[in-house]
Amino acid sequence: MIKVEPRLESSLAWTIGAFALAILAGFLVSGLLVAASGADVLKAFTALFQGAFGSLKAITASLVKATPLILTGLATVVAFRAQIWNIGQEGQLYAGAMAAYLGSLVLAGMPSAIQIPGIVLFGLAGGVVLGGLAAVLKTRFRVSEIISTVMLNYLVVYLLSYLLAGGPWTEIGETVSYHQSPPIPEAAHLPLLISGSKLHIGFLFAIAAAILCYLLLEKTPLGFEIRARGYNPTALRARGSNVPRTIFLVLAISGAIAALGGVSELFGVGHRLRGDYLFGLGYTGIIIGMIGGLRPGGTVLAGLFFGGLESGALYMKILSGVPSALVPAMEGIVLLFVLIAGVIARFRFVRVTADG
Amino acid sequence: MGELFQETIIVSILAATVRIMTPLLFAAIGELVTQRAGIWNMGVEGTMLMGAFVAYIVVTAADTLAGAILAAMLAGAVMGLVVAFMTVTLRLDHFVTGLGLNLLAGGLTLFWFRSYIAGRPQPTFEGFGNVAIPGLSSIPYLGEILFTQRGLTYLAILAVPLVWYFLYRTKYGLEIRCLGENPKALDVKGVNVARRQYGAVIFGSVMTGLGGGFLMLGFSDRFLSEVTAGRGWLAIVAIIAGNWMPKGVLAAVLVFAFLEALATHVQVIGVEVPHQVFLALPYLASILLMMGLRVRAGQPANLGVPYRRA
Repeated sequence: MIKVEPRLESSLAWTIGAFALAILAGFLVSGLLVAASGADVLKAFTALFQGAFGSLKAITASLVKATPLILTGLATVVAFRAQIWNIGQEGQLYAGAMAAYLGSLVLAGMPSAIQIPGIVLFGLAGGVVLGGLAAVLKTRFRVSEIISTVMLNYLVVYLLSYLLAGGPWTEIGETVSYHQSPPIPEAAHLPLLISGSKLHIGFLFAIAAAILCYLLLEKTPLGFEIRARGYNPTALRARGSNVPRTIFLVLAISGAIAALGGVSELFGVGHRLRGDYLFGLGYTGIIIGMIGGLRPGGTVLAGLFFGGLESGALYMKILSGVPSALVPAMEGIVLLFVLIAGVIARFRFVRVTADG
Repeated sequence: MGELFQETIIVSILAATVRIMTPLLFAAIGELVTQRAGIWNMGVEGTMLMGAFVAYIVVTAADTLAGAILAAMLAGAVMGLVVAFMTVTLRLDHFVTGLGLNLLAGGLTLFWFRSYIAGRPQPTFEGFGNVAIPGLSSIPYLGEILFTQRGLTYLAILAVPLVWYFLYRTKYGLEIRCLGENPKALDVKGVNVARRQYGAVIFGSVMTGLGGGFLMLGFSDRFLSEVTAGRGWLAIVAIIAGNWMPKGVLAAVLVFAFLEALATHVQVIGVEVPHQVFLALPYLASILLMMGLRVRAGQPANLGVPYRRA
């Protein structure tokens, strides 16, 4: 007879196994979705993976797509590990892009070597402001960060909509005004990593951010407090730890990382401020961080994988007719299975003999 | 501006308030029952979206408004079943579950929607019309504001006293409230905690699905992937701001609906403010409400705590 009992310690191999099973189950259900829509499943998935990882060109395009997802994923990791439910990555990413755009206007005309670091700093500050605001609302006014960050997401999107549709940043054409800013001068573009490709140094920002997140969580006193909060927030308060300060730092750091995603998309890919290509990157990052097991390394892997799929989705659509929205659906399905796998990973199967 | 013109606008804004309140009220009053049973269902936004989407598919494919509303409620029930399985049976974190469900609903509806409309213009439909209540609808002002509404709006308003009666005057209601405060007490008495919690989650989700269906069929003629626009979250805020009491929830929902109604009338009011300011008002108000109303006395003591025996 087999008995199920809780594990005392989590086993890494078992956890990875459970996650792999979850991803497999997610793919199976996604395959059913494709089949139900009347398309050829094998053809669709082959095209999806070819489009994502099938050639050097496909891979660099995938890395470009992965960049903002890794960053918003890491923003999720830092907050969720502390059991601070920041779901404001969307707004913080927008705020980063907007603050950085403001920076590019302030620093216009300066040499790139000054402009680009300055723009990045402006962007980070935008994320810190929005994350910090949620922290102050939580610690001073007892407003749950879940609610405040969701609402701030909407407020930021409306602010951007105002700025770009009739507000001061609207591009004025000859006869009509568009819902976008004028193009950003080339001196302010993020440099390319491989000339001829679209891969820009934003990808290095994402990798550097992952390493810093790892060091922050594992090697610093703040990281210890974050992990301890994750286990038992009450005990931490009893130990005399400065809880409001930790909450502020966590949300500010989380906001800054998400904001970096916005800076990287705007100055590395879009080259003009517009809402459409930024939309959804923050929410997807939450999925990426959770599928990555709330670990920096796992988040990089999940970001590369799903960034690749998002990049390959267009190819799939052309070859098999399956809408590219399959990828966000897959992300949601895999996330649900990963959550369930997290429960399974906490248990183990024990063989029980007849006498006990 | 003439006095008569002003009166017309005020009546029109208030009538719009009652109409806009409907989907929020369905979701908030349903989710209130869920929360009183101790389950923080954070998946309201996704459940509402799923309800709206399924209603759209049914109404455009089968051309039946009643069928579409029933389908939206069924979609809500399915979402509720998933939430109940994950929170009650698997005892997963309530917040993470709801968030996951929202993200899943966003992805699935987008995929199904694109598959549904692939290669053709997006089908549209004709939604609910007004049902004037004979007699009452001819009362000056009030008739137009309260008694010339969509049929389901009356049901939503009626749901408030019904849910109040259920929670405070019936044995099952007492059990539901007890689940949120002290589930162990019920368990010891031999009441099946899990079954009651499943029921409360599914009831809330059916109501939320209904709200989503109404959002689709009562206001619009086509589906948009951002149709819910945070209304599920506003429903949660309404519960907290309303201190977990039916009449408080109703009041909070009215505030949000009034602000949204103002935004739809901004051009007639003729104020020199960017219209995005008006669109942002409900979200801004929800933060301010949470800052100002800090009474949490009505919050169920065991809200969001997975129940374990022993």
